[in-house]
Amino acid sequence: MTRPRTRAGIALALGLALATSGCGLGSTEARQTPAAARVPELGPDQKVSIVFESYNFGQAGAWTDTFNELIGKFRQAHPNITVTAQKPQGNSANPATDTIPSVQSQLAAGNPPDVAQLGFSDLDFTVHQLGAKPLDDLVGRDAVQANFAGAKHPYAASARTLGDWDGRTYGVPFVFSTPVLYFNASLFQQSGLDPANPPKTWAEVGAAAAKIKAATGKDGAYLDCLTKEAKDWCFQSLVRSNGGRVLSADRKSLTFADEPAVEVVRLAQDLVKSGVSPKLAQKQGYEAFARGDIGMILETSAVQATFVKGAQGKWDLRSTTMPSFAGKPVVPTNSGASLFVFAGDPAKQRAAWELIRFLTSETAYVTISSKIGYLPLRTGLVDDPDGLKEWAAKNPLVRPNLDQLAHMEPWVSFPGANYLQIRDGMMDAVENAVYQGADPQATLSAARDRAASLVPGGVR
Amino acid sequence: MTDSWQDPRSRRWRAVRGHAVLAVLGLLCVFPIYWLYATSLRRPGDVYSLSPLPWPLSWQSYADAASKVDVLGLLGNTTLVAALTSVGQLLTGLLAAYAFAAWEFRLKRVLYLAFVGTWLVPFQVTMLPNYVLLFQLGLLNTLAGVVIPTLCSALGVLLLRQHLAGFPKELLEAARMDGRSSWTTLWTVVVPNLRPALAALAILLFVNAWNEYFWPAMVLRRSNAMLQLGLRSFMGTEGDDWGPLMALAGLACLPVFLLYLVLQRHIVNAFVRSGLR
Repeated sequence: MTRPRTRAGIALALGLALATSGCGLGSTEARQTPAAARVPELGPDQKVSIVFESYNFGQAGAWTDTFNELIGKFRQAHPNITVTAQKPQGNSANPATDTIPSVQSQLAAGNPPDVAQLGFSDLDFTVHQLGAKPLDDLVGRDAVQANFAGAKHPYAASARTLGDWDGRTYGVPFVFSTPVLYFNASLFQQSGLDPANPPKTWAEVGAAAAKIKAATGKDGAYLDCLTKEAKDWCFQSLVRSNGGRVLSADRKSLTFADEPAVEVVRLAQDLVKSGVSPKLAQKQGYEAFARGDIGMILETSAVQATFVKGAQGKWDLRSTTMPSFAGKPVVPTNSGASLFVFAGDPAKQRAAWELIRFLTSETAYVTISSKIGYLPLRTGLVDDPDGLKEWAAKNPLVRPNLDQLAHMEPWVSFPGANYLQIRDGMMDAVENAVYQGADPQATLSAARDRAASLVPGGVR
Repeated sequence: MTDSWQDPRSRRWRAVRGHAVLAVLGLLCVFPIYWLYATSLRRPGDVYSLSPLPWPLSWQSYADAASKVDVLGLLGNTTLVAALTSVGQLLTGLLAAYAFAAWEFRLKRVLYLAFVGTWLVPFQVTMLPNYVLLFQLGLLNTLAGVVIPTLCSALGVLLLRQHLAGFPKELLEAARMDGRSSWTTLWTVVVPNLRPALAALAILLFVNAWNEYFWPAMVLRRSNAMLQLGLRSFMGTEGDDWGPLMALAGLACLPVFLLYLVLQRHIVNAFVRSGLR
């Protein structure tokens, strides 16, 4: 008799619970910014406050300290601009993975950061969904290019356009790395290999890895490019270096199941199957290398400090450029992030641009490179005695990265609102083939077919 | 015929086996904590070592942690937030549970089920509305912003309501006949008799609030002002700084360890009473 009343009660209670809990979610509509009006210069007494969001503020030590120091210097140079620094909100172990959801949720709350440091893999989404402001429109193309030219040392030519879309600059590239082959020279010597002549091709890497395994029992090589966790910047570099690409040039077809990509995955799978490359997750991989348990690792220079710390007093850490596929040119791609403007108010937009100019200036790069170890994108600084010449001499590990800038190509972001599903689906397939032994062609083709419908206006 | 359950040798053998299993399980549980302190006591260059003994010992990781984050500030802030949260949840839980247990009113059952329902709604669902509200109130990036949305806990209401359901109605009637108001009855009759349950719940709520990571990470964007955020600040794109991370994690465990040691009986009691065994 009481059952209908109870059911109604439960239904009402659940309704109330949901209502009181609040289920409103932000809109996901595309919001690419139309051409914006040129923002005026700030008046001498015009006070402006802006918020700068960077994942560097999420990491204690040199990162937070250096960026706080830079913000302090900026305040001295621009006393009328107050900068509030913040890290991306979120709960990931790595704050860099929270950047996009963080800006998204703040946009939903109507309170985005005025300047944000966002990854290159998110460029399409940042421009078309988050509505980053086109800097060329805000401050003029001449001013943007003048910033790249710098006071004394211009940006590396290949770095200038990494934050561009359809010929307009949206983001100023800030920090990045290319894939570098770090190697344990001590293990090389123990294995009868010449550390002064590290492998130049992937075939040589395989042979050297086998020698290391046979002579020392330690693992030969690890490529931090083949897991979902590693994202796809380095995988793209491998594929480009083998003459392929993961996305067609017109951005309409997924090409990561084409022969060049399949060959790359097959090569990596062979290294694992032959026992010279360990089955490790990303962090396990680079920590094992830092411990001295792996002969070579293809890695971003962002974790170089971890290697230096692990190697200190124990083994000889060296680096070289990314190996090639026989007869083909190496095409390094970049990891890293650019600085974007999200401010809506013209005064804040101008202040945001001033902050970007400051953070990408020669003085800022001297501070950033010498204190954190990031690659200076104004490469001339490493030959300037007043710049980073002394630092570069003390840090020969940075050299391969600088050498690779000349022929670097951009880390391509996947298109559409579902770009992460596409990227993660691809990397899942790569991981599955390399570390679980699945058939490379079949696995990559299946991933491509699943993701094809997520590409806006895409074709199979 | 000898019953094997009565045979002393068999009983002893069974006890030894049981204790051996428990010892192995105990070691498995303790090992991560041992590894945490072992790593925190290694020299910075040895943090990736897999050697089971941290030798030579070094306090460098603790010094690094202290130089990179404000350890005392983190402990103080976390204690403050955990204490305010647990006291708030206890107070709101007590008042709501008292109302549900002591009075009859329209839609009482529906309202109670609504409380149960909010317990079933994942925090991720309420996160954005709460965040927007905090923004509108100007409470983002403040400790108050961390505390206020968590002041009411369905868990507290449910547990205390269960305890109060078994509370003798005669005592409440007697208090009413003595001329005591409901408010006075709550504080002079109900609370003194409910003290063990309140103590046990307070500890549970405090430990929950102490370990909370998700919500503070949402609210405190401009600082790592709480322990769990301070811990995360040693992890990042550029690799994890395991030495200071383990040192700070070791320090973060100590207050809760101490609380557990002092109030062990109440905590076990709380789990038993709440059916969370």
